[in-house]
Amino acid sequence: MAVAAGTRRQAKTLGGAKLREALVGYAFVILPLGFFFLFFIFPIVYAFYISRYEWGVLGKIESVGFQNYRDLYHDDLFRKALHNTLVYTAVVVPGQMALGLLAAVVVNQKIRGRPFFRAAFYFPSLASSAAITAIFIYLLNADGLVNKLLDRHQPFFADSDTALPSIMGLNVWTTSGTIMLFYLAALQSIPTDVYEAAAIDAAGPWRTFRKITFPLLKPAHFFVAVVSIIGCLKVFDQNYIVSGGTGGPNYSTLSVVLYMYRTAISDLEWGYAATIGVVLFLVIFVFTLVQRLLFGRAEVS
Amino acid sequence: MRRRVMRVGLVCLALIVAAAAGVASHGGGKAAAAPKAAEVSGNITLAGWTSGGSTEGQLLKQTLAGFAKKYPKIKVTYTALDPYQQNMLAKFAARKPADVFYVDSNDFPDWAKQGLLEPLDSYIAKYHFSTKPFFPRLLSAFKYQGKTYGFPKGFSPLSMEINTAMLAKVNGKVPTTWADLRLLAQRMKAAGVPAGGRPICFQPEWARLLAFVYENKGALLNASKTRAVVNSPAVREAVNFYVGMINSGLAGTQQQLGAGWCGEAFGKEKAAITFEGNWIMPFMAEQFPNVKYRVYRMVRNKQRATLSFTVSYSIAKSSKNKAAAWTLLTYLTGKQGMATWTSKGLELPSRKDVKVRVGGRTAYLRDAAVGRPWQFAPGFSKVMTVANNELTAVIEGKQTVNGMLAKIQEAANDALR
Repeated sequence: MAVAAGTRRQAKTLGGAKLREALVGYAFVILPLGFFFLFFIFPIVYAFYISRYEWGVLGKIESVGFQNYRDLYHDDLFRKALHNTLVYTAVVVPGQMALGLLAAVVVNQKIRGRPFFRAAFYFPSLASSAAITAIFIYLLNADGLVNKLLDRHQPFFADSDTALPSIMGLNVWTTSGTIMLFYLAALQSIPTDVYEAAAIDAAGPWRTFRKITFPLLKPAHFFVAVVSIIGCLKVFDQNYIVSGGTGGPNYSTLSVVLYMYRTAISDLEWGYAATIGVVLFLVIFVFTLVQRLLFGRAEVS
Repeated sequence: MRRRVMRVGLVCLALIVAAAAGVASHGGGKAAAAPKAAEVSGNITLAGWTSGGSTEGQLLKQTLAGFAKKYPKIKVTYTALDPYQQNMLAKFAARKPADVFYVDSNDFPDWAKQGLLEPLDSYIAKYHFSTKPFFPRLLSAFKYQGKTYGFPKGFSPLSMEINTAMLAKVNGKVPTTWADLRLLAQRMKAAGVPAGGRPICFQPEWARLLAFVYENKGALLNASKTRAVVNSPAVREAVNFYVGMINSGLAGTQQQLGAGWCGEAFGKEKAAITFEGNWIMPFMAEQFPNVKYRVYRMVRNKQRATLSFTVSYSIAKSSKNKAAAWTLLTYLTGKQGMATWTSKGLELPSRKDVKVRVGGRTAYLRDAAVGRPWQFAPGFSKVMTVANNELTAVIEGKQTVNGMLAKIQEAANDALR
């Protein structure tokens, strides 16, 4: 009896210590976790709930089951928006990564004025996207600086062949600064002895980059690709500003988020807008998952 | 017992007197449009997109000062919202909109349908508010399913602005028909007027094109707004004219002319002729005071017509102080309030009994009589997304006019269903 009681007490105190430790741990994360649930998990779940209703400004109108999803499947505008967004992502992600990596490698060299170049390359990422877009509207205007230099008269943002590519170029340039920072951090964490060994083996700079630097940056590639793809799939502000919110000309700048915005704010169909949001969430989620599987496995091997 | 009888009698008497007074005021025309100044009080809020610092903002301040003088017990707080629509929707959803606010005629059908606005018919009856002085077409822009949800605070129709120096340069006459307009543009183009630009500026959007469609006796919807009628020969002809002018180089879009809108292209003298509303006048005075121009009536084709842009003052359905809100509404859209608000001609008065006191607006006022409000039915924002994108595709030659009209027809009928 006494023994049993003793072990029980011991177990209790041991459990108590563990419990206390766990409680302290939770106490530390409870606030951020609370915010996370309140501002991320709850809205996602709630958006899914809303997406199954016809939902107006003042709330529920009627339950429509999965009709919104069926409508979305047959929605021409959504298809155009999704197409534009995917094309945009397919071009901008590699562009951003290449330019970001190039800038990182450049500013990682021991060159004169290195702090200046670091700041200069990072600067576009600091400025507000709205302000940069507004400046580009002037630069790419039919009478703007770019046309003066090219001696042409092309309204870049008003022509459906050039509007989206112009936004792509603009975004590759502005976001490459942030990506440069990620790469720079990763570059500096590569141990110097690897390079020394390569130098002893008489590897040239290009070979060193291809065989050593690039493969060793794999975790950075994964991280940057994920961040960059998510950012691209959510493209909105540049398209909104350039087209005045219409997604024109000829639907060329209509992105998924811009279409979602229009559906909510202009068309007042909040249930349908939530449906678009849920589908976009799933698209991003699947992309990230696939990437994690691909790169994650590679990392282990 | 006697006292009670007396009291009942007094009440009856009071009722009879009140009723008589009501009848008298109704017949006599001296209607008590709003509750008496002493009766209503409280704090109410007003929301709009007019920013406080602008000329418009000064006028609004002046108008509200007039109101404060007349109704000292009502305290009005004005908030400018930017972007207006998004902010208003957030406030509606939070059940905390302003008591009185602007409603764009284009947003109106959706806002009324969603039950955001207070119907005004019972107030009109109760306070014998006369809606007769309002231009009927503008007033009807704020009716939904037979009920009135707002009174127009003013309006601006599209008319034709011409650069007088450029007109003189080619010895041209002011065009009155589409044919005249084309001839004049051809003459200007041949003479290289304006240098580095195009004779006309046309915005590639239905909010301009539709005026020409109406002139050609076409329309987007039938009169009862139950069916799309956009896929018709009359509309096709108007679109062909509009797009044809652009593609033959007689007209240019604002983007082709390196401007943000046609008013800017007109001010920069990249276009000699444009079709805008009277909002262009303060813009020209501020930005391009040296450009000489005049405003003429819209060119006509099968009939005279134009588009009018109008905005109402409406009351929130969830307003807590509707008596005070109604008092403010009827002051702002009443003779006195509107006279102050429109005194600089930034908007034209939507009441016939308010005179325009600034010059140069004759053409707008005359076109106003044939102006139709820029408004369709609930759910038409999406139709316009399609319509405007298709129009840019037609201008680029990537879509046929028939293809565009079929798409718009389909989208419109979807929205009406």
